[in-house]
Amino acid sequence: MRLSSVCVALLLTALPASAGELRVYPPKITLSGPNRTQQLLVVEEVNRRVVKDHTASTTFRSSDEKVAKVNAAGVVTAVGKGSATISIALEGGRTAPLTTVSVAGFDKPSEWSFRNHVVPVLTRTACNSGACHGALAGKGGLKLSLRGFDPESDWFVLTRQALARRVDQTNPAESLLLKKGARLMPHGGGTRFTDGDENYTLLLDWIKSGAHGPRDSDVSLERIEVFPPAALLKPKDKIRVIARAVYSDGTNEDVTRWAKFTSSEDLVAGVNEDGGITVTGSGEAAIIVNFGTKVTTLSVTVPFPNEVNAAAFARPAGSGFIDDLILTKLELLRLPPSGLCTDAEFIRRAFLDTCGILPPVEETKAFLADKDSKKREKLIDKLLERPEFADYWAYRWSDLLLVSSRRLQQPAMWAFYRKIRQSVADNQPWDKFARGILTASGSSLSEGGGNYFVLHKDVAALAEATAITFLGTGIGCAKCHNHPLEKWTQDEYWAFANLFSRVGLKNGDRPGEVLVQSRLDGEALHLRRGVAMPPMPLDGKPLALDAATDRRAYFADWLTAPNNPFFAKAVVNRIWRNYMGRGLVEAEDDLRVSNPASNIELLDALAADFVKNRFDMKRLMRSILGSAAYQRSSQPLPANAADDRFYSRYLVRRLPAEVILDAYSDLTGVPTLFNQIKTAAGDSASAVTTYPAGTRAMQLPDSLLLSRFLEAFGRADRVATCACERTADASVTQALHLNNGITLNDKLRDKQSIVTKWLDAKLTDAEIVDCVFLAALTREPTSSEKKRFVALLAESEKYGPKSRREGIEDFVWAVLTGREFLFNH
Amino acid sequence: MIRLDADRPATFCDGHTRRDFLHAGAVAPFGLTLAGLNRAKANASGSAKDNDVNCIMLFLVGGPSQLDTFDPKPKAPAEVRGPFTAIKTNVVGTQISEIFPKTAKHADKFSIIRSVYHTATAVHDTGHQMMQTGRLFAGGIEYPHIGCSLSYLKGGRGELPAHVLVPKPIGRTGGNLPHGHAAGYLGKSHDPFILNADPNAPGFKVPDLLPPDYITGIRAERRQKFRDAVDGATATFENNGAAKQLDDNFALAYKLMSSAKAREGFALEKESAKTRDRYGRTRFGQSCLMARRLIEAGVRFVTVNMFETVFDEVTWDIHGSRPFTDVQQMAKEVAPNFDTAYTALLEDLAERGLLSNTMVIACGEFGRTPKVNPAGGRDHHPHVWSILMGGGPIKGGQIIGESDELGYAPKTRPVTPGEVAATLYKGLGLDPHKELPGPQNRPIPLVDYDRKPINELF
Repeated sequence: MRLSSVCVALLLTALPASAGELRVYPPKITLSGPNRTQQLLVVEEVNRRVVKDHTASTTFRSSDEKVAKVNAAGVVTAVGKGSATISIALEGGRTAPLTTVSVAGFDKPSEWSFRNHVVPVLTRTACNSGACHGALAGKGGLKLSLRGFDPESDWFVLTRQALARRVDQTNPAESLLLKKGARLMPHGGGTRFTDGDENYTLLLDWIKSGAHGPRDSDVSLERIEVFPPAALLKPKDKIRVIARAVYSDGTNEDVTRWAKFTSSEDLVAGVNEDGGITVTGSGEAAIIVNFGTKVTTLSVTVPFPNEVNAAAFARPAGSGFIDDLILTKLELLRLPPSGLCTDAEFIRRAFLDTCGILPPVEETKAFLADKDSKKREKLIDKLLERPEFADYWAYRWSDLLLVSSRRLQQPAMWAFYRKIRQSVADNQPWDKFARGILTASGSSLSEGGGNYFVLHKDVAALAEATAITFLGTGIGCAKCHNHPLEKWTQDEYWAFANLFSRVGLKNGDRPGEVLVQSRLDGEALHLRRGVAMPPMPLDGKPLALDAATDRRAYFADWLTAPNNPFFAKAVVNRIWRNYMGRGLVEAEDDLRVSNPASNIELLDALAADFVKNRFDMKRLMRSILGSAAYQRSSQPLPANAADDRFYSRYLVRRLPAEVILDAYSDLTGVPTLFNQIKTAAGDSASAVTTYPAGTRAMQLPDSLLLSRFLEAFGRADRVATCACERTADASVTQALHLNNGITLNDKLRDKQSIVTKWLDAKLTDAEIVDCVFLAALTREPTSSEKKRFVALLAESEKYGPKSRREGIEDFVWAVLTGREFLFNH
Repeated sequence: MIRLDADRPATFCDGHTRRDFLHAGAVAPFGLTLAGLNRAKANASGSAKDNDVNCIMLFLVGGPSQLDTFDPKPKAPAEVRGPFTAIKTNVVGTQISEIFPKTAKHADKFSIIRSVYHTATAVHDTGHQMMQTGRLFAGGIEYPHIGCSLSYLKGGRGELPAHVLVPKPIGRTGGNLPHGHAAGYLGKSHDPFILNADPNAPGFKVPDLLPPDYITGIRAERRQKFRDAVDGATATFENNGAAKQLDDNFALAYKLMSSAKAREGFALEKESAKTRDRYGRTRFGQSCLMARRLIEAGVRFVTVNMFETVFDEVTWDIHGSRPFTDVQQMAKEVAPNFDTAYTALLEDLAERGLLSNTMVIACGEFGRTPKVNPAGGRDHHPHVWSILMGGGPIKGGQIIGESDELGYAPKTRPVTPGEVAATLYKGLGLDPHKELPGPQNRPIPLVDYDRKPINELF
């Protein structure tokens, strides 16, 4: 079929001086047949961001109505072959000068394509949604593929099943498809379109012209474009969005009426089903546009209503790209940054975020007394070399990789853990670390990384876990059908899964030993097609099915290549979140087009820098720790109190469960015993002697050690690959446990505790108050605090030495359960 | 009863026993931070003896099949009818499935709504959201559970939490979405108190509810003074949601610890063996008994989750094959478990005079496909299902709405989850369209304006 086309080119020349630049979207129009339309947008832009939508108040006029008509709303409709110009006049006399129009052949009527028009109509009207005919079992006897991922079957079902009553070619208006959809007869799914509206008409026209099915020659959807690309608005502003599909033959089409629009933040900007955006608050929202299998976004930025002096955003001397990009964003949003934190605050937070421990008192004293202007940088360097750094990050990566005795025997679990801890201690580059695990071969006891394959034996589970672990993205939805929110298709899923189909496992001679090797055969069959797809990484190049290449190595090569679009970002975002309290993308393992970063440029720059420096983990951490953004005070300014995602201040956050527990052990001098281990089902526990007294929670290789404290405070279970396993929420259970549970109470009462030592050393109350503040809060008490606590302690002494001890215990308890202690700030 | 208006500090001497501590807790407000005390006072303004309607929500996790439970179709073809026959109930004209012989004798105490449906994705999680909050979550907004809105509007009676969830929140059910058990935008301080223990386990005890012996009254009071002084240094943390939440939870913990009523409510061991047997010695049965005790003690809303997950557990999720449940397992294990516990709860509440001001709703998150699948099971089907409502102002013995001949879709009086929520709010004495401050103080009605209560039930 040859499509006629009308080309309408719009050009804007010199504009009257005003707030911004007038621009017409889309920049170039091609209409490929009779009745094809294109909505125009006339907008005013500043720095490539729309600040005002003038479309509604614009008068449009076509120079040749035989070529293209344009209505008052700015919809251009193809009429005949040729070219035309559209003139654009704004209210108040402003004009956008004439635009040229060129028109091509128009000699044959075009027809609607099943794949590119009928299916989008069924998707937009929700006929093929999961709640209706797109359900696995269909509805009312009609089963369509979910959101039209399988057009061939859908066409067969609509035209060939049910005695061909659904699509009636002899009497098109009698087709069930139309009568049910328009509810001209009873329909459980209600009214999906109305008799005579554009969806109805399109379906009717398609039936009249022969109801042709999908063909191999159909153009395929390459991408979607959305206009405008970005907007900078004020509360209550309204603009509209148009979406255009670009096909493999270079043609394009306005698909706004079929696209699906959603907002990531309804509280900043809402969007209706036709792409109309209304601003409701301050901040940034991503408007997500889905059409077919493609997805794209546009960002709506709404500055906060603050008067801010430009000096607030001056770049600190010697600052790098991190501070530059954060301050650019803050300036755009008119969010002034808080000032720098004190040295005492810095040493406390840097120790906790880097090593998971409180700074030892002697180090705090020395640091505070140090006059060196470079002392913060020096401290960062020292922290990255401490053994607790290796404990802390080995623990984090063990959470990620699900190290535990739940599904690994003890020797295997230890082998996996030791491999991870050694990598951290050696600062092994992240690409080498990932490759080491993903291509591990041999005994799982000597090659600990091989246990990754023991944990994920099923090929689909292995593929999905790998996507989350190393790409920071979930693809699980696409196992059974195209991902409903993202671009991943079922074909891509199974092509990806097939990369992992040649892993051989066999039991070794020793307990827990599994021999891991790459095999020469094995395929993961596509769930629907029942065939093997050529193995292909996400957005990568396929490997021939008969290629002799080791598929795991092929995947690792793709994964760790400098231009991999996901790998560096995934880990950078995890590390950023650890230090900054909030990922550039939240959740930290939910990177996808429809969930963009709060500062896209910064994530890109961090990832590029990380790759350039050969995936050097410590270097990345050093640059984050050294940034002014990390070293900001946690005290909000009135103008940035509403910000929780653009890093205008250090975000206060509760310490992780293990950090709190270890701090209790360290501060009281009474270690926590880990001498009971739960079964995998968690319904019983038995004694374990592997962990000598003094083992810290952060040194545990296992998530099954019985600890009511760690459970109440949200340690990760290490069952499923998901950052959501760890929780930082406060609960009444935690409060009850701190009050009544044995964890803290027993440590304070213990005969070996620090309280006993203070009493033996005959410390005064004032000295005890000093000790507790410095050790637990990394600061001196203020004079009024000191006075108050000494007075309260004196009160308890009136009842004798036992009471004095209890008073001291109660004081320490109060400090260790208070906000200042439990929250990193 | 706790006297929050007692301004005179109680005097303590050292050496008080734990019993003294608890006793003291019942007469004086120690153990509350000032902020907590103010909140407690505010909450206590409605007297602990108010006669407001309570609610017990029995969540039948997995999604019971309408055809095999409360909407049998004896005349439907065999592949739709399923293996069970319909039996008469004590209400003339009302029939239910034979797998609920006990429930059939109590049909006058509840009404069956046979035309509930939803149009969202057919995964468990969406139905959990809608049935517990009245809405599907979208646009980054998480809506509050009905019990959490109630907590926000009325607070607890005295020191008791307004909303208790037993035994555990719904866990993984495949959709990876929030399940709607929490307070959403109302803030974590209105989250339910979660039992987190199996009341059917031997030696069951609510974890950490009571202080150890050596924490006497005087020590608890002193700890509070210290803690208030310590927190004075971090007043700006009030801006931080998580820090505020910590305070709120400490305040609630103190209230619970010092409450004789709370202890009483959770003390399942005080029930006779006969009563415990009556509810069935299952996690669900004992959870229902716990719900009755808690309502008796003054809790306003109790959510009982029948199951924690649908994977590798015998539930209502009768796909017919592993890791799910098959139809016979449902009939042999799940149905009798429900039948026993549900009827015991209705009888027990009625005998104690509590049924007249306690609504009991038993609902799942969706129905099942009318046509039996090749594995002999039925799959997810949100287009129609049945729920039970009774107690409080809800009239029993009625059938509201009907499904079509095949139990496929509502035939008359379709009811959305939002309308069920509106009905519960109305039953609780609240205007279903009362606006609460949502995120950034945007007013959000309890349920959407077009969702009206099912007035036939009142």
